[in-house]
This record gives sequence, C-alpha cells and structure tokens, in this order.
Amino acid sequence: MMEFLIAWWANVPEAAAAYALAALGLLLCERSGVLNLTAEGLMLVGAMAAMGAALQIEGYPGMALVVGMLAAALVSLLFALLVVTLRVNQVIAGLAIVFFCQGFTQLLGVMFDWQNHPVPGLLPVRIPLLADIPIIGRVLFEQNGVVYLIVPIFFAVQWVLHQTRAGLRLRSVGENPEAADAAGVSVPLVRFGAIVAGSALIGLAGGLLSVGGVKMWFPDMAGGRGWIAVALVIFARWQPWRALAGAVLFGCIESLVPRIAAAGIRVPQYFMLMTPYVITLVVMAWTAWKGRSRSSEPGALGQPFLREERR
Amino acid sequence: MRSLRRGRPVVAARRRMSAAFDAAVTTVAILAGLALSAFILVVAGVPAEELANEFIVNTLTDADNLRAVLAQAAPLAFVGVGAALAFRVRFWNLGLEGQMIAGSVAATAIALADVGPPVWRLFLMLVAAMAAGMAWALVPALLKLRLGVNEVISSLLLNYVALNFLLHLLYGSWKDPVDAFPHSPAFDPFERLPDLGWGLNAALPLVGAAAVFAAWLLGRSRAGFYMRFVHANPSVALAKGLPVAALVLTAVLLSGGYAALAGVCLSVGQEGRLTQAFFAGYGFSGILIAFLARNNALAAVVVAFLVAVLFVSGQSLQVFYQIPFAMVRLIEAIVIISAAASEFFLRYQVRWLR
Repeated sequence: MMEFLIAWWANVPEAAAAYALAALGLLLCERSGVLNLTAEGLMLVGAMAAMGAALQIEGYPGMALVVGMLAAALVSLLFALLVVTLRVNQVIAGLAIVFFCQGFTQLLGVMFDWQNHPVPGLLPVRIPLLADIPIIGRVLFEQNGVVYLIVPIFFAVQWVLHQTRAGLRLRSVGENPEAADAAGVSVPLVRFGAIVAGSALIGLAGGLLSVGGVKMWFPDMAGGRGWIAVALVIFARWQPWRALAGAVLFGCIESLVPRIAAAGIRVPQYFMLMTPYVITLVVMAWTAWKGRSRSSEPGALGQPFLREERR
Repeated sequence: MRSLRRGRPVVAARRRMSAAFDAAVTTVAILAGLALSAFILVVAGVPAEELANEFIVNTLTDADNLRAVLAQAAPLAFVGVGAALAFRVRFWNLGLEGQMIAGSVAATAIALADVGPPVWRLFLMLVAAMAAGMAWALVPALLKLRLGVNEVISSLLLNYVALNFLLHLLYGSWKDPVDAFPHSPAFDPFERLPDLGWGLNAALPLVGAAAVFAAWLLGRSRAGFYMRFVHANPSVALAKGLPVAALVLTAVLLSGGYAALAGVCLSVGQEGRLTQAFFAGYGFSGILIAFLARNNALAAVVVAFLVAVLFVSGQSLQVFYQIPFAMVRLIEAIVIISAAASEFFLRYQVRWLR
C-alpha cells in the first residue's frame, strides 16, 4: 500500500505543475479583464515548439522550454491583436486561436516528422540531503527543474499582482478600465503585456507536457488540460493560491489514473480516463452552487475597452 | 518628433451600417483568409498553378468528387445548423462532437440490440440518436440555466467524456467479432440510410428538411422572434416577461439533436458502423459554418457546401501531395480569424484626430 501511495504521490508534482503554470498564466491575463480561452491551443504550441527545439538541439532541455514559452507568447500576440486592438468578441477570438493552434501544430509536427520521437528531456534533479528524507524526499525533492521553479513563479505572480505598481495597474484595468484610463494607465498596453506574459507561462506548461512529461510529441497532446485550467481559474476565484491548490488537486487525480492501472486494479480503463473531466464539471457546478464566483470575477472580464473620444 | 505627430487614430463605434458594406467587408475578409491559406499551401509544396484545379475544377466538375462533396455537405450542414440554433440564444454549444458521439452510440445500441421490427429499425435509430444528442446537450444547458456554469467549458469537457465512453464501448463489448478491430459490427442494410441513386443516400433530403424547419423556426415563428430578442439582450427579454429559460432550452436541445443527426449521417449513413473518429473536426466546422452564416439556417447550408468542397480538396491534397489533413483545420481557423477580425471594421470606424 505504501509503495502504491509513494509511486502515486511522486508523480503528482509534475502533473500539478502543468496545471499550476497554465492556471497562473490564465489568471494574469484574466485579472487584466481579458477572458482567455486560448490555453488549450497555447499549450499545444508550447509543447510542439519545445519538442521541436529539443530534437534540434540535444542536451539543453531548458533551452527547449524557453523556445516553447517564446512560441506561445508569439502566438498570443495574434490573440492580443484580435481582442485588444480589434475588440473582437473574446470567446470567438479565443476559440479561433485554439483551432488555429490545433491545426498549425498538427500540420507542422507531422510535416517535420516530430511525432513519436523520444528525447531525453528534463531529468529529475535530486536535492542533496532533502531527497534522503523517507517518503517526502521521493515525492518532493526528486523532481525536474520546472517543478521547483513553480515555487518562485507562484510567489512572483502573487507579488507582482498584489505588491507592485504594475500589478495594481493590471488589476485596475481588469476591474474598471474607464477609471484606469482616466488615471493615465494605458489599457491596451497593460492588456497586451498581461496576455503575452501569461501566455509565456502557458507555453511553459505545454513544454513541460512534452519535454518534461512523456518526453515525446503527438498531435493534440494537451488532451483538454487547457480547458481544465480555464475551469480551475474560475474555481480559484482568480486568486493565485487557490489556483495552486486546485492544480495540486488535479495533479493528484491525473497521476492516480495510470497508477491504478499499473497496480493491477481492474477498473474500466476509459472510465478512469474520464475522471478528470467529470471532476472538473462537478467542481464547476459546486463552485457555481456556492455562488461566490460571480462577485470575485474581475469587473471588466470579457468586455472590450473603447475610450469615448470627444469629437 | 513633435512635428511628425500630426494627430492620432481614434476608434469610435460606427453609427450606421449598410448591408452592402457588411457583405463587402465579410467577403474581402474571407478572401484574404483564403489567400493566406493558398500561400501556406504553396509553401507546403502544392504548385501554385494547381491550386485552382485542386479546389474548384476537380471538386465541382468531376462526378465522383461532386458526389463526395454532396455526401460530406450533409453532416456539415446538420452540425452547422445545430450550432446556429444554439448561438441564436447566446449559448456557446461547443459540445457538438460529444452530441454527435452520444447520438451515434444510441443509434448503434438500437441496431445491435435489434430493437423493433426491421421496417421501423432505422426510424427508431434516428429517434434514439436525437434523444441521446438532446440528453447530452441538456447537461450544460441545465448547468448554465440553473447554476450559471459557463457552458463553453462544460460543453467542451463533455466531449472528452463522450469520447472515452465511445472508446470504452469500441474496445470492449462492441468490438467487431469478425475482424477484432475496435469498431462496431457492420449495420444490416435496412439499418443504414437508404440509397437514393447516383451514389447519394437519404442524408441530403433529411438535412434539407431539417434546415428548412430551423429556418422557419428562427426566421418566421414566434419563438424565433423571441430568440432574437434573447440574443439581443437577455436581461431585457427576461424583464419583458419572455420565457427565456424555455427558449434557451428549446434551442440548445434542438442543437444537440441536430448534432446527433450529423453523427448519424457519418456513422449510419457513410461508414455503416460505429468507428473511433467519425466525428473528428466536425464540431469546429459547425462553429465556423454558423459563424460565417451569421446563425442563419439556410445560409449555413450554403457555407456547409463550401466547407465540404474544402474537406474533399483536403483529402485529395493528402493523397497527391502528402499534406496532412490538419491543413483543412488550419485553413478553417485562418478563415474564422480573418472573418472575426473583419467585424472590427463593421462595428467601429477609425478616424484621424488632429
């Protein structure tokens, strides 16, 4: 039993890290008032670009992840152009970008033949001494570098949002863009910045899936994790620490599924694979039933900003 | 620097807009999207002089290809009209693929269990499919109406649930005993959509009738008028005493039913059995069709025909130039992005403020 639990928990941090990165990225973007449905697509872009880079330059998985981040940030510029500059409906624009990324990554990945080529990828880093602690050492201190990076990234997001002038501007643009504009904050500029920075984190989540997790690439490999991340942000009521907690919950569920099969417990496999989606639905219904998500939503979420000019 | 800045561009909401301007801007946007797609195709290795041949001449003049286009147009029109129905009441039904799966699973269950006499079998399969599609659409509809859960995510997540359920059946009890492949046993001839000659089956008249009904419902009936009201402003519609919840529910359930019939066109009509990926890409195409048709049911049929041309051309590109079918998905996405971007020019005007 203990063996089973440790094998399960040791896989939780990495699965949770992808959700946490995506949710934190989305959160940055949505706190600036931009409803972001692009996560599924940007994770695919991050995963494909990182894998492409890992196949070209061997031995530098960190570089590959940076390439994944940059690629996602680049694609998010198109999203920002649509929703900030052209004020397109944010649901339509988000969906269109997801479809674009799905088609684009599948096309490029298949044409360059990046499919199913394993790479060494990110290797676990043992933290000396701490890794020798029984159970906890195996679970927390034998993970890959990105998992450890979650801690500073989380505190950075929290700090930027709540302690800095830039974060104040970002939140004011998301709550009341008219007031922010009157105070001299450039609404389009802040939203562009939030989208690009958030999308880089989502791209890192995608890169973690391909270079860190399965260590190869196949089409549509995000498998709905981007949508779950969108739901997570609603569940987290746009608070970073709640997003982190939700990410750990979904990391637990996701890493439990293969463990149960590996332990030889006979449960219908495809019903197990359904569980993350079903649990997301249940969590969304429960959050809505509690009825507090509306009031904590950023005030201007989903609404394009247009300054009323004098003639 | 100062002297270079002779004013700045200012965006303002457009007050009036003519239908001709609307049509012109949308057409230009779609053409721009297609031009960009053509460029990508040329980069991917299709000779530029062959593009017109591949996409227009071959598909519309060759009898076999035209037949393929018409066969492909039926499920696309179903799913497009279905999407339009839900979008009319501002419900983002992104669960079209899940509803297609649910419908085809129900139809297959009727066929495998040999429910009813053979004469009625196909009819029962269609009814079961619609009921299952509606039931699958009911979940996000109720979650939204009762609890205010965002339907974009809930309907999308249900696609993954439906897909895993489908795989559970196909790799489990429904696996074909003849060849042990993960697809259902083939349907009996009387369980398939009947042939109407010239290689076309009953899907076309079925979708024609369905589209006319949807057009009547949305354009001519009282409920359609109310739905337009709900689309324009749900809170005012509610304040005016319209049965908003009932209208939304009607439109979404019909949407699920239509999506289920799109699935039936593919599984019961074309493949003759339940397969693993018969639905792939149709949900997205349905959204594209409804968006370009501005949620108009009859326009959706026309757009569905054009998307069918794209699908069939995509298949031939795959055969002749080894271009992955994902190219079709990419072209669809580029068209939807350029059409969405063009709405900026419809809604706003840019003036130069000195």
